[in-house]
Formats: sequence, C-alpha cells, structure tokens
Amino acid sequence: MQQISIAQATEGMILAKDVMTTDNRVLCGKATALSASIIERFKRMDITHVTVEDYPVAEKGAKSLKDELLAVEERFGSVRHIKPLMHLKKRIQKRLAAARQTTPPSSDRGEAT
Amino acid sequence: MSQPLSPEREQRRAAIREALREVKNLPTLPGIISKLTKMVDDPDITTDQMGKLISKDHILAAKLLKLANSAFYGFPQRISSLSSAIILLGFNVIKILIISASIFELMEDQDVELWEHSLGCAVVCSVLAKHLEISDPEEVSTAGLIHDLGKVAIKMELPKESETITALVGSRGISRFTAEHELLGLDHAEVGGWLAKSWNLPVKLVEPIAWHHNPAGASSEPMAAAIVHFADIIIRGLGYGHGRDIWVPTLQSKAWELLRLRPTDLDKILENVEEKLWDVKGFSLEIKMEAGGVGSTSPGRG
Ligand SMILES: [Fe+2]
Ligand SMILES: [Fe+2]
Repeated sequence: MQQISIAQATEGMILAKDVMTTDNRVLCGKATALSASIIERFKRMDITHVTVEDYPVAEKGAKSLKDELLAVEERFGSVRHIKPLMHLKKRIQKRLAAARQTTPPSSDRGEAT
Repeated sequence: MSQPLSPEREQRRAAIREALREVKNLPTLPGIISKLTKMVDDPDITTDQMGKLISKDHILAAKLLKLANSAFYGFPQRISSLSSAIILLGFNVIKILIISASIFELMEDQDVELWEHSLGCAVVCSVLAKHLEISDPEEVSTAGLIHDLGKVAIKMELPKESETITALVGSRGISRFTAEHELLGLDHAEVGGWLAKSWNLPVKLVEPIAWHHNPAGASSEPMAAAIVHFADIIIRGLGYGHGRDIWVPTLQSKAWELLRLRPTDLDKILENVEEKLWDVKGFSLEIKMEAGGVGSTSPGRG
C-alpha cells in the first residue's frame, strides 16, 4: 500500500482506500482499478492524493529498506537508555518494513474492515 | 537554570536576551492583530464583523482558510468561511494563525527543513491531542506549529552565531539545542518563550513553546508542554529533523508519565500520523509552488 500524489497515478493502479471528497463523501470505493477518466475526475474534484495497492511508485532518491532502518537506528542513537523511546524506534522500523511489503496478487481485495 | 553560569556567561546571556528582545528583524505583528484584539474585548462585536476585517486582507484570509482546512486541525467538514473559522478555531487560534502565517513566510524560503519539521510536529500534536481527548486540541496543534519559533528569532537576530551553531552541529554531531547552549548559554525554547510572551500570546501557547525541551518547567500547561515535547520526539523519529541535527531528543520521564500512553497506543498514533503527514506534504508543496510561482501545477486548484 502506498500513498501517491494524483500526478503519479496511472491507469491500472488499484485503490487501497476509499477516495473521499473534500466534504467527506465517498467519491470512489477501494478496490477500484484506476482508469484515465477516473484520474481526470479526481483532478477536477481537487483530490491531491490517493492510496493504492502495492508499492508502485519508486520515490526519487528513495533508500533501500536496510538503509532506512539504519537511519532510524542512527537518529535514536543518543537515547538508547530510554525504554519508551526504544519501543518507539522498534515500532517505526516495523512500520517501515511493513510498508515495503507488497501484497501478493492473490490476496483478497474485497471490502475487508 | 540548573547549573550556575559564570559571570561572563551570565553577562553574555543578558546581552543576547536584550538583542533578541528588540526583535528588530522579525516581522512585526500585522496591525490587524491589535485591531482584532480590541475587537475581541468588545462584547458587541460579532464574529461576522471580525471575519470582515480579516477578509480585507485577501492573502491573509486565503492563508487562514488554508491552515484551517489543513491536516493539523483535522476538522471533518470543510471550513469555507472566515466566520465559521473563527467560531470553530476560536479567536486565539486565529490570532496565532495570522502570526504563524507571517513567521512562516520567512521560514519557507529560508529553512524548508524547519518548516516541514514544524508542520509535521503540528500533525503529531493534533493526533496526540485527539488520542488523549484533551479539551483544546487546536491550540496544542498550533503550539506544535510554532514550537521552534526561537530558532527563527535566533537566525534573524544573531545570524553569525546561528551560522556557528550550524557549523558546530555538523562538525561535532550534536543537536542544535546543545550547540545553542554551548555558544549562547541559552536555547531556542527559552527565546521562543520570550517572544511568544512579548506578543501576548495565550499561556497555552507560551508554555509549550518555552518548555518543549523541558516540560517539567511548565507550571500552568504541563499537558500541552508534554504533548509538544513528545510530538517533537515522534516527528524526529520519523526523520523530520533539522538539517544535520537529525537526533531524537531525550524523553523526560515526568512528561511520559503525564501522557500515560501505553506501548500499544503507539502503533495507532503512528498510523494516524503517517496518514495525515501526506496531506501536509501536499500542503507544504502547494505553498512552495505558490511562493515560487513557476511551474504551478493542476490548474483546477484554486
Ligand atoms: Fe526545539
Ligand atoms: Fe522541534
């Protein structure tokens, strides 16, 4: 799952979350495959970001997961003696790792949760 | 305050304090603030009339509405008019938004990293405030937005010292906070606190700014100070530092006890923060493009 700007959206990407209008109505439900006309419509409706399945857009200058985890380690370098912060560090690293995991294509794309 | 300073240092500190107190180079508060302050003391003035005064300044009005609709306040509905912004956010927040709009004008082009750190901190504050169900989440978010105000003041008033601080941070791998103490004998939290006080900001903003690195010092708003303190930690943990000062600051145990967060709460908080940070990235980018003028995108946006 990845949140991308509307400029990065391309045909065929699958929505991982509902797209809401600015006044909080569902504009397009999750699991929808994006088409050129849907993307156009989002732009017209002032939608700036969408969340899509997998991790389709490589960010410019993006680090490898290993480097990202090391960078977190470094940032927390001077607070290793503080327990709650070590827990915070672990959670941040866990989430980074989870975000990089791509969903297997066979997985259920229905309306879970 | 803990260790006594030598007389020379104490003198130097007083001189710096004096220089900063004048804040010659900082933006003076827009005249509109004093007008609004007078209005708010007048019981006969309606929010409508206040809205009218603000809307005379088109740029200001547009910025206000943009901030009001941004992720750090997280109102479920779109705020489309100034009068509803005043009702929803309250006068103190409106006042501070006007101030932050003028401060951020400086920050945006001078220090994009500090600007993103500040926006991010505001987001974390709003998530924490909602999670803890405190009564005035908007004010805490606003405090997060301007918690490092003192850094801007130091940069504007003492540009040479500020450069030395940046160099120290780079060469010794220390935090700006530590470098400020070594060089100036004081830090940006203290400076930000003076400034906020001199602008007559409410204590709910002054204390979290002044004590965000030492929340135990906050006497009337310990919770707000603890939230900004921890928000600063989280946003730094997520990689929104300030230049080569990438460090996660220490957590004060007293503040941690006050927040009463369980380890399991952290996941939920991080999830909410990540989601909202995206909106902020968009917001920050939009502002940059508006400022830059060139290459403004999506003609549909207005
Ligand atoms: Fe700070
Ligand atoms: Fe900070």
